[in-house]
Amino acid sequence: MGLERKIQLGAYALFIVALFLVPEFSDEFWLNRASKYLVYGMLGVSIALTWGYAGVLSLGQGLFFGIGAYMLAMSLKLASPTSLAQGSDRPIPDFMLWNAEPDAPVELCCITPGSYLWLPFESVSFGMLMGVLLPAVVAGILGTIVFKKRISGVFISIITLALVLLVRLVVIDLQPLTNGFNGLTDLAFLTIAGFEFDPYSRSTYYLCAASLALVLIAARLLADTRASLILQAIRDDQQRARHLGFNVPMYQTFFFVVSAAIAGYAGMLFVVASEFASPTFMDLSFSVAMVVWAAVGGRSSLLGACIGAIAINWIEAEVSETAALVEAWKAIIGLIFVLVVLFLPRGLGGVAHDLAARLARRQSRKAAAAGTAGAEVKRHA
Amino acid sequence: MVEVLFIGLSLSSILLLIALGLAITYGAMGVINMAHGDMVMIGAYVTVMSKIWLGLDFYFAIPLAFIVTALIGLLIERIVIRRLYGRLLDTLLATWGISILLQQAVRLELGLSFFGLHIEGLGPGLQKVDVPEFLRGTISFGDTELNGYRMFIILVTIALTFVTWFLLYRTAFGVQVRAIIRNPEMAAASGIDVKRVNSLTFAFGSGLAGVAGVMMSGFKTVFPDMGATLVVDGFMVVVAGGVGSIYGTILSSGLLGEINALVALASNDIIARAVVFAVVILVIILKPKGLFSFKER
Repeated sequence: MGLERKIQLGAYALFIVALFLVPEFSDEFWLNRASKYLVYGMLGVSIALTWGYAGVLSLGQGLFFGIGAYMLAMSLKLASPTSLAQGSDRPIPDFMLWNAEPDAPVELCCITPGSYLWLPFESVSFGMLMGVLLPAVVAGILGTIVFKKRISGVFISIITLALVLLVRLVVIDLQPLTNGFNGLTDLAFLTIAGFEFDPYSRSTYYLCAASLALVLIAARLLADTRASLILQAIRDDQQRARHLGFNVPMYQTFFFVVSAAIAGYAGMLFVVASEFASPTFMDLSFSVAMVVWAAVGGRSSLLGACIGAIAINWIEAEVSETAALVEAWKAIIGLIFVLVVLFLPRGLGGVAHDLAARLARRQSRKAAAAGTAGAEVKRHA
Repeated sequence: MVEVLFIGLSLSSILLLIALGLAITYGAMGVINMAHGDMVMIGAYVTVMSKIWLGLDFYFAIPLAFIVTALIGLLIERIVIRRLYGRLLDTLLATWGISILLQQAVRLELGLSFFGLHIEGLGPGLQKVDVPEFLRGTISFGDTELNGYRMFIILVTIALTFVTWFLLYRTAFGVQVRAIIRNPEMAAASGIDVKRVNSLTFAFGSGLAGVAGVMMSGFKTVFPDMGATLVVDGFMVVVAGGVGSIYGTILSSGLLGEINALVALASNDIIARAVVFAVVILVIILKPKGLFSFKER
């Protein structure tokens, strides 16, 4: 194993250990915020996977995040005490009563048009399953169409962008089904096998930390596979990869689906930590923000993008509490971003990578020098 | 029905004013300018400020906004975009950063109040512009009443589209721009100063956005984030119409504007926007080159 590789693995190990040490140094309020940063970190990984490895810049990653969030939030909404206290023996979301026709039956099956879609979400396991499955399926369909048609580059960005904005508008418009602009609030805590994840407790933080560690390791392993190499070859020269006989759309779609599933998973965790789901998850600015985090951290470095996302959000929260910089913060982020694109196109991860590579080169040169010196000594002796 | 088509036409006009600039900068220079919407915003603020500071009439805001936004565009091109030619997605990211900067600059009351220096401004609140008396009423043709201000927007758009067409197709400068659109390397090899032409093109595109901003200010509230949705709409128009094709942009803005107005009549504004997005997605999937694109040479 080369030194460069060792440094890389060391960085991953260090990061994951650090993740689990955080609760030792912070209170519950801060842990809740930290859990959200970890969720953003997961989004960074998901962006790096499609952008860095597949060369596909999705400006609609918020769609998958939003779907994941809504799927779990629907289940948790039905599980909340207020949904049970609406005068029916089975749970009904309170907002549906506000939006129902006066003579509609107070039953989840038919209180508002389409409310039967909520029925399976009485099972939290179903919501959790859909939170990963639905983003993956949507990405699978979209990817199959887009990649088969050989649509590339900026056109994919525009399609994903249009799609996320489209779905956002539909969610807002379907007020009786989704509570429109207000989103889903007043959710129950996530309970798995009798264990309750209180958002302001260590348990939720550990859930997020473990999930992030898992996603990072899985993504890293995936990036080391042959499939990932082929994907990178496709990124660098699609035409050549196609002529070498590789099924280009299949590889691209596969990675797009994985990235969407990660984003959906992140959306679910966000709901657990923040106790709401809202159409703002599908805002243009949020989807672009994810790309910004990944770009600053390093678009083709999984760990870099992850740390970039966490660091920017952390610094943002800290700075926005400093009175002098409250207003200026966003301008500063804009400026940082322009500078990174201009002068560090590979982000901080790229810088770290170069440093590691230089270190490795120096080491091997030293070893080589030591080797020849040794040989020299032997000859003289 | 005529009224609805007319409203659609006025929506198309605004779309076209925004998209024309994008079509030129994207088509000619391969730059995705996410800050374009903020040029519209700045144009709208110029209208507000010129009234407050200079006491100027609405009409004078049009050339003023053009000059101000064109200069800002020139500055952006010189400082940032010039270094990013050939890196399409990076231009998208960098201009997104610029867009945040511009929005924050306006929100910070057009000054840097956080360094002890404070320039009196308007702050982050909503602003409104009063349209001149002359444009407020309606014009009747038989039994259809047409809003005067919307009519004005349509006329201004026609005039500016004509100017753009004239610049592109009837001047030596236009020949150079079109040569760069078709093939930048060949154009450079033929002795065209690509850098200079690009700067001017970018400035002109930004100026058009500024004028669009003046028009917007007449019937929408003016606020720092207003550009974010506009730039998306503009891109949808350009991509659906076919990159690098001015005619395509004109036709697709007409199409999308009318679809918007008709669907809005049948259901509501939110669904109308959603339908427009759906149409754009379908267009890209079915005809990735856009509805009205030319063959590459």
